[in-house]
Amino acid sequence: MALSEAEAARYARQLTLPGFVPATQEFLRSARVHVVGAGEVAGPALLYLAASGVGTLLLDDALDLASEDAASWLYGAGQVGEPRIYAAIAAVRGATSLSKPRPYATGSDPSAALVCASSPGTAREAAERARVAGLPHVVALADGESGEVVTVPRGAPCYQCASRLASGAPARPGAVAAALGALAALELVQILAGVVDLPPGAGRRVDVAGGEPQTHRTTRVAGCACGRPRLP
Amino acid sequence: MSGILSKKSALVLGAGGLGSPALMVLASSGVGRIAVVDGSALETSDLNRQPLFTEADLGERRGAAAARRLTRLFPAVNVEVVDGCFDEASAAGLARSADVLVDGADDAPTKFLASDAALLAGRPLVHGGVLRYTAHLLTVIPGVTGCLRCLFETPPPPGSVPGVAEAGVLGPLAGLAGALMGAEAVRLLLGERGAYAGRLLVYEARRARSRAVPVRIRDGCPACRAQREAVASAGAAAPGPGTPTAAGG
Repeated sequence: MALSEAEAARYARQLTLPGFVPATQEFLRSARVHVVGAGEVAGPALLYLAASGVGTLLLDDALDLASEDAASWLYGAGQVGEPRIYAAIAAVRGATSLSKPRPYATGSDPSAALVCASSPGTAREAAERARVAGLPHVVALADGESGEVVTVPRGAPCYQCASRLASGAPARPGAVAAALGALAALELVQILAGVVDLPPGAGRRVDVAGGEPQTHRTTRVAGCACGRPRLP
Repeated sequence: MSGILSKKSALVLGAGGLGSPALMVLASSGVGRIAVVDGSALETSDLNRQPLFTEADLGERRGAAAARRLTRLFPAVNVEVVDGCFDEASAAGLARSADVLVDGADDAPTKFLASDAALLAGRPLVHGGVLRYTAHLLTVIPGVTGCLRCLFETPPPPGSVPGVAEAGVLGPLAGLAGALMGAEAVRLLLGERGAYAGRLLVYEARRARSRAVPVRIRDGCPACRAQREAVASAGAAAPGPGTPTAAGG
């Protein structure tokens, strides 16, 4: 379905970008992104995915809101104790009517994944599920004052091969987490829009430390299962 | 950390694609007083990159809507709104009113004015820009690093450089740049070294490549000369009290 007048007006600043045409925006609208986590990295990422026009956001989070979640850009001070997933859904719905946030469930059939887990173990598990499902995915993880964003298009070295972090230590409130969340959304939107500059089968990791993004092409660890052809 | 920041203040120029995430970072970090200068109303095309706002805010003054959202999310922060332009008449007073300036303005003349005003007020300035798939960041420390005029000398002639309306911008890239600007301002307020002090960081999103260009004080820069003269006439030998240097402290 072609973009409506309201959508064309909303995304006018993207539709003038090189490589961005109405069909690109329509593809973003049809995307269904599984978002793991709803904390201080995921909050900005969710808002930017929704604002960019990603049509469906499938939220996956089991925690209740804690006081430190105030840095997530999504939650008011009086919401501590509420289920985080529903508070996040309400916040995204309040921001835009052009993106549909809903809880992730078996059979949700995502087309991509964004992992903003709070621990390396959870990030690895979620990333591996996305890889096995054949989904392009991006993983963002904070490590105190720094963090990393790993981009894994289809066929690229997996997160386990690519990650060089990470303790998963909580980010400095409000600072590096926001940059990681925005960067993770940027990477995923570029993959979905087909404007990312990466050769087929390649991935990359952006380390953010001291305010400086440093990019590394990722390489596959010898013998890793991600190098074997996927079963049909 | 928040104890120090709660006594600090920031002046943010523009509540748009860069200012919006920078404001979120400053407020969520616990900066005590934030003044936002914005003289425009929210348009539908703003919503692809300005996470402070929702559809319900369309048509409202951006400064007022920004203050309402920030106060709801971060009640401890004192948000002041200047609903107008950062211009020749207001620049000096506004620059002196805060501990750090964050330049999220979207036009070149305002950016040069912000750099000049920060130098004369002895306040550090975090400058940012974003267009298409490229963002850039620069921190100006008066008397220590080069300024915008050391780098570009003068604003480009009107109409010679396309703006966001013509060239476009990817929303999350503005988010990344604005978040990095906010984090840089927090570092400066804490007395830490500025990551972009004296260096222009350029980030190209499609290749995820960053490169840095040194920005030193340029001989003959009229803005830096005016800053030196202002310091000399005030009888001070160094940047004003509370102003961090490129090496921190």
